This record gives sequence, structure tokens and C-alpha cells, in this order.
Amino acid sequence: MIRHRSNINLLVVLRMMGWLLMIEALFMLLPLIVGFIYHELNSVKAFALSALITAGSGALMTFGLHPRNTDMHRREGLLLTASVWVFFTVFGMLPFLFDNALTTVTDAFFEAMSGFTTTGASVMTDVESASHSILIWRAIMNWIGGMGIILFTLAVIPMLNHQGGIQLFNAEVTGITHDKLRPRISQTAKSLWMVYALLTVLLTALLWLGPMNAFDAICQSLSTVSTGGFSTRNSSIAWWDSTYVEVVITIFMFIGGINVALIYTALTGKVRSLLTNGTVRAYAGVVLVFVAICASYQIYNGTFENIGDTFFTLIAAMTSTGFGVTNYDAWGPFTTMLLMVLMFCGACAGSTTGGVKIDRMILLVKNTFNEFYRVLHPNSITTVRVNGKVVPHSSVMKTIAFLSIYLMIFVMGGIILTALDLPVLDAMFASLTAISNIGLGSGITGPEGSFAVLPDAAKWIMAVMMLIGRLELFTVLIVFTRDFWVK
Amino acid sequence: MKIVIAGAGEVGSHLAKLLSKENQDIIVIDNDERKLMNLDNYNLLTHTGSPTSFDTLRDAQVGQADLYIAVTPFETRNVTSCAMAKSLGAKKTVARIDNYEFLRSENRPFFETHGVDFLIYPEYLAAEEIITALTRTWVRNWFELCDGQLIVVGVKLRDTSSLVGKKLKELYTLSAKLHISAIKRKYETVIPGGNDEICSGDIAYIATTAEHVDELRTICGKAENTVKRVMIMGGSRIALQLARLVGDHYKIKIIESDLEKCQKLAESLPDCNIVYGDARDIDLLHDEGIEDHNAFIALTDSSETNILACLTAKEYGMKKTIAEVENIQFIAEAESLNIGKVINKKLLASSHIFQILLDSDQSNAKCLALADAEVAELVAKEGSRITRADVKDLGLSHDMTIAGLVRNGVGHLVQGNTRIQAGDHVVVFCLSGAIHKIEKLFS
Repeated sequence: MIRHRSNINLLVVLRMMGWLLMIEALFMLLPLIVGFIYHELNSVKAFALSALITAGSGALMTFGLHPRNTDMHRREGLLLTASVWVFFTVFGMLPFLFDNALTTVTDAFFEAMSGFTTTGASVMTDVESASHSILIWRAIMNWIGGMGIILFTLAVIPMLNHQGGIQLFNAEVTGITHDKLRPRISQTAKSLWMVYALLTVLLTALLWLGPMNAFDAICQSLSTVSTGGFSTRNSSIAWWDSTYVEVVITIFMFIGGINVALIYTALTGKVRSLLTNGTVRAYAGVVLVFVAICASYQIYNGTFENIGDTFFTLIAAMTSTGFGVTNYDAWGPFTTMLLMVLMFCGACAGSTTGGVKIDRMILLVKNTFNEFYRVLHPNSITTVRVNGKVVPHSSVMKTIAFLSIYLMIFVMGGIILTALDLPVLDAMFASLTAISNIGLGSGITGPEGSFAVLPDAAKWIMAVMMLIGRLELFTVLIVFTRDFWVK
Repeated sequence: MKIVIAGAGEVGSHLAKLLSKENQDIIVIDNDERKLMNLDNYNLLTHTGSPTSFDTLRDAQVGQADLYIAVTPFETRNVTSCAMAKSLGAKKTVARIDNYEFLRSENRPFFETHGVDFLIYPEYLAAEEIITALTRTWVRNWFELCDGQLIVVGVKLRDTSSLVGKKLKELYTLSAKLHISAIKRKYETVIPGGNDEICSGDIAYIATTAEHVDELRTICGKAENTVKRVMIMGGSRIALQLARLVGDHYKIKIIESDLEKCQKLAESLPDCNIVYGDARDIDLLHDEGIEDHNAFIALTDSSETNILACLTAKEYGMKKTIAEVENIQFIAEAESLNIGKVINKKLLASSHIFQILLDSDQSNAKCLALADAEVAELVAKEGSRITRADVKDLGLSHDMTIAGLVRNGVGHLVQGNTRIQAGDHVVVFCLSGAIHKIEKLFS
């Protein structure tokens, strides 16, 4: 047998990983400060230890390794992007274990992965008893993961501001095409993060004006703008029982579902570009149509409470936030299916949301109509346009492949979960919630239940699916192909 | 600096990649989306649209650009595009042209009034480069400053040279007449330190002053050949330009395999011998008297053909061969293969652009682009960082070195304890990707 030489420069990937871990350690200092403020000695210790371990490992990797060749190519970029999420999760789960908020590695890993991928599915049955440090750490994980770990580092680490940085950007940012806002990648990353931070600050202020205290406002804001969904209360947003909070969060979840690059262009004075954008229009249209269907069905079967709750729940599902204001399971199985359609569909590409993204759905629908047309006019040449721009044939093919693989993984995940003794509907819902990074559950994992009751194997499977979904399949799956490792 | 490049052809793409590596903000405009796709993985922004559309130019934020470079294949489009960009607010514009008439000084005001600040004509630059190579047959590169007061040459060193086998620090104790700025060995250019040894086969870039040039030639073990008769393979635009410039100085024979082209060449170049045939055919070369020629220049569109033809000519005793090699990857290969001089239009054009970049307010900086390094001439400004300490205390990074300077019209070589003064013309040798560091040192 011929031995193939591995042609991946692992050292350079690990070295870069070291830098990223040191940044994670810096983020861990925030909960540490919160711990001091609330005099939570245990948590302070837990975070100090975690930060030390993370920074130590990072420093060891960065300063201990001296790769002979420092070039980052396509493979290294993909591998770094895929593995940085795993590394962040592994180190990010340490505080949960040290603080005894979660006792098993499975639970801690699930919680951290759910945090970074902005899924927001929690295995903590009683979050109100957790320390403030842990709560803010969950929110911070949501916030970093929402925009993307790599995108954050592209903005702050100058050494990624070269060709290798583009590979990382392309591997992490969602959508069919990747808009670059400015000529250099670090400028693009900075602009995107500026918008993101601005939205967070705005929401925090608005929530603070309402019935929330400062701490809750910050945590809720971090996990809303990132469309994550970790809450500081057991009953999520329902706890405040305030129409004001509900409306504000609904609006910001909706904004969170819009392409951040588009919000940036709108903020620079081109508001029209936001209003005339085809994707945004489709997004708003889908929300309105589904709310109308759902509300009529609720009125028909007598579960209608108020239109606000319907809006909130549907947008929470579509934007993959997964906050809860009410027990939607009680609305009946038809609404559960409606929710699943929205969860699959997702919001705009380039936003912090999960799902297959509405851009791809538009493309699929338009391409389907083209195929029908071609049955009648076999010689016609047709193009698929999204937002007025022609999508090249290769991108159409890639999108259709994407949708097929996405469906396959979703169904496979559901089947495996039923093997672990989950009811069929609950298993399918849980599988979709993981791959689309939603965080809602149905049945045993639903508003009345919790993800904590799942068997360990189910938690691991869901954690892996969350990662695959967050990086939009290819970046993670490619690592498991033979071609990736051999020349 | 914000730079917009119109045209993602060979020159445009090369420039975009190069300038992106130099940490400049690059936006590339082209009609053809497929051409832009090749640039997608580089740290720059691409924009699909016509370079002569106001909307496209506005979308690409040409108004805020410090430099607008039009390098589409069509000169009229380039000039129009530059005029439009200037009217939208671009600070400086550069157009690639294909017509010698445009370069003549009496026609300059036309371009100035229409908002075209600089013109680049790669074929003309190539012809000029060939002429230098024909007059200085013993060097690979020749870069002179202030009427030849200071000279940087690139020479391939063989066993005949007394430099081979010596360490740099030994050389400097021997004489202070030369400064070895860089060595190109195989595929890599390095800035050498005192302990580095010179090997046979290296291309050394050596700086020296005017009075020591002949001495340097002897040290390098080279002889001067006078070129009288030149054989050119391929009647390309460079060949035409070259023949027009020096047709009365040399006896030129052009071999071209396209009959129609031959006819046109014969019409426009009455003093040259035009031969219809394939210059790879050895019998034809003999018939045309290759033995009587002193130089062979291969200028066909195919780099491979040019390289092979030059090797064949070398075999028949040709002293000086020059090949046009358009694939940058082949340049290192060609240089190690004993081909005297390699011409590349992209490198020539990009060196010209670098010159414009480095020199936004003075018009006397020169630049010489090699495959992976640059030689730049800059004037030290009052109070700039470079003048604040002796050269050895400046803490220059390892990818650059100061070769020499011209002060009050006299060339000097630079040593560790030289202090650069404001107003000095300084020659800096730097590896690719470091040119923006130089800019900071001098301003």
C-alpha cells in the first residue's frame, strides 16, 4: 500500500489556536469581575482557574510551537475554523464543572456547545439558582458565537489580515455568497462587529428602561442580538410577564435575523437598500404569512391568547433564538409543524441565525419554477436571480447539495434520537433544533420539560449536530473526508 | 492607501495581489465575473461592472481613492476610465497605454487636462529594459541613480568570479567599494548577513559607485561584449517598439512565424530584416547566420518557447540571450537555466506603479521590481525616522537593507555607522511585502 503524506500544516493551526484560546481566557475575566461584584467566591475561583488553564494552554501552544512554515492555506483555514469551535467549547465548559453548576462532562460540553453555536438549548434545570458569573458566561458564549469566533479574531488580531484570513472568513460566515464590506478583511470584520455591538448596547438600554434590572438586561440583550436564547430565568422571557419586554425582544430578534452587512449599509445612510432587499422582504413576508396561518388555527381550535405571543414564538423559532413566552406545545401539533418549517427555513444569510437561511429557500423555489418552465420550453436558457443578481450555476448546484445534505442530517439525527427512546415528533424536533441552532424543544424537551432528561448519547449527538449546523455543513464535514487529509 | 484597479487581466491581477500583500486597501473592477473569481481568495474587494460606467465607479468608491489604475487591454477605455475617475474625485490616476505617441512630451497637456496623471506603457518599458541589457551585457539588472553616481547591478556569479567562496565579512574588510545587498539562490532571495557565503550560481545584487564599476566587473569575472547584430524571435509589440527605438543603432533581424504579421512588420520597419519562419528550427537559424549575431531575444507569446529558444541559441555560442517570460512562476526557473536576462511586462508595470505609490509628492523616485524583491530609490525627508540614528542603530527589519546613497551628487555606499541626512537619495533593497515599511521610514 502506498503511504500518503499528510500535507496539513498542523503546527501552524495549533499555534493560531493558542492565540484564540488566550482571547477566550480574556473573555472569562468578565464573569470573574461579575463574581467579585456579587461576592460569589466559588464562582470567582472557578473562573480564575478556568481562565488560567485556558490562557496557559494557549500560551503553551503559541510560544511552544515553532512551525517552520507559517503559511495558511485552504485546508489549514478550514481545519482551524472547524476545530476552534471545539476547542472553545472544551475550555468554555470548564467553569460549569469547577463551579458545580453542572456535574458531568456531557452536560457541560452540551451546554457550552449550545452556547457558542447560539442554540440556547439548556440542560440546567434551575438556572435561577446558578451564580451570576455562570449566567453572564452563558450569555457571553452566545454573544461570541453569534457573530463567530473567527470573525471576532479577524477584527482584533492583525496577523490574520492577509490571504489566510480570507479563507477563515469564507469558512465561517454563513450564506451562499459572502459579502465583503471593505477592501481589507479586518476592516470588514470590524464594521460587522461595530453594528453587532451597537445593537447590543441599544437593546440593553431599552430593556433596562423596562422592568429588568441591569444584570438581566445585559444577559438577555447578549443572547437576543446573537439570536442565542440563553435566559437568566427558568421560564425564559415569560418570567417578566411584560408586554414591553416581549415587544422589544421580538423586534430585536427580527433585526438579529437580518444580514448584518445590510444593516451596516443601512446605517451608513442607504436605508433604501434594506427596504428594497429581496431577501429581507421575503423574510418579513414569511413571518407575516406564518403568523396569520398560526393565529387563524389558534382561533379555530380555541388556544389563541394574544397576537404578541404568536409573533414572539414564531420569530424566536425562525431566527433561531428560541426564547419562550408561553407553552406553544399546548397550541396543538399543527403549530408544532409550522414551527419546524420556520426552524428549517431560518432567516437571512449573513445574520447570526441558524437554519438553511431564507436566501437558499428563495433560490430553491426560483430554480424549481425554472425547471418547470424548462419542461415546456426545453431550449430556453434561464437564470436564477437572488436580490437582482444572477446566481452562477455552480452556486445553484452547491445550494441544492447543501439542502439535501442538511435534510439528510436532520432526518438521520431524528432517527438516531428515536433509537434512544424519544417519541417520534420530539426526536425530529430535537434533531432540527440542534442542526438549526434554535434551542426550542417539544414534548419531553419542550416548555414543560428540559433537555436535561435526554440520555448522554443524545446530548453528544446533538452537540455535534449543532456544530455542523453552525458552520453550515461543509466546513465541518470536509474534515472527515479522505481527500482532506491526503494529497 | 486606497487603490482602485480597473481590469483584472494579467497586469491588474498581479498588481492587486502584490499591493494587497503590501497592506493597501484594494478594490478591483472588471466586467468579467469569472476573472474576479480568481481574486476572491485574496484580501481585497472585487466589483463587477464596466470601468467606464459612472455607477460602477461610484459603487467602488472611486471618489475616495488615492490612486486609480486603469489596466484593461484597451488604451482608449483606460484613458476614458481615468478621466471619469478623476472627475469623481480620485486623487491620482494611471492609465495603461499602447501607443508611443501618447508618451511624447508635446502630448502630455492633453492627458493632464483630461485627468490622467501617469501613463504606463509596459511594452515600451520592456523595450527600454532590453536596450539596457544590450548595452550592459555583463549584468542581469542595472539600476542607476543620479546619472550613474550610484549603481546597483544584478550579476550571476560563476567560478570565474573572485567573490565566490568568500564570506561577506571577509569581503568588507578587503574593500569598501561594494555592498552586497541581496543574494538570489535557487528560488529564494535573501538579504545576507556577515556570515553568509557567496556560492557559484548565485545572483548577487551589488551596489557600487560610478568609479568602481569596471573594477566590479573584473571582480565578478565578466567580460564586456559589444552588441552589433541582434536576432529577435517573434514580432510582438515589444519587438516593434524595440526596433523603432534602436533600429539605427543595431542591425536587427526579426523571425516571425505568422506571414501576415511579417508583412506588416516589413511595412513599418524598413531598416530591419524580416524573416518568415519558425525560430525553433535550427536549420533556419543557421541559414539566417546565427553565428554572426551577438544577441538573441525571444519575444513570442509563449514563455516556454522563449526559454527553450534562448537555450538553443546559447548552445550555438550566443553570448547574450534575453527571454520574455510572462509566467512569474517560471522566472526563477529561467534564471537558473543560464538565460541571461528575463523580461516580464507585469513586473515592469508593477515596479512603475510602486514608484508612483512611494512617491506621491516627489517625482524623482525610481523603482526596480524583481520577482520577489524591490529596489527603490527614495529621498529622505527632514525629520523622518531614517535620519534619526546611524544605520546600524535604526533596527531595520531583516527583509530590507540600505545599499547606498547619493549626497550632493556624489554616490556613497552605506556602512553601519553611516548617518543618513535629509535630502539624501537612498537606495533601499527590500523583499516583497516590506515596501510599506520603507514608506514609513522615509516620511
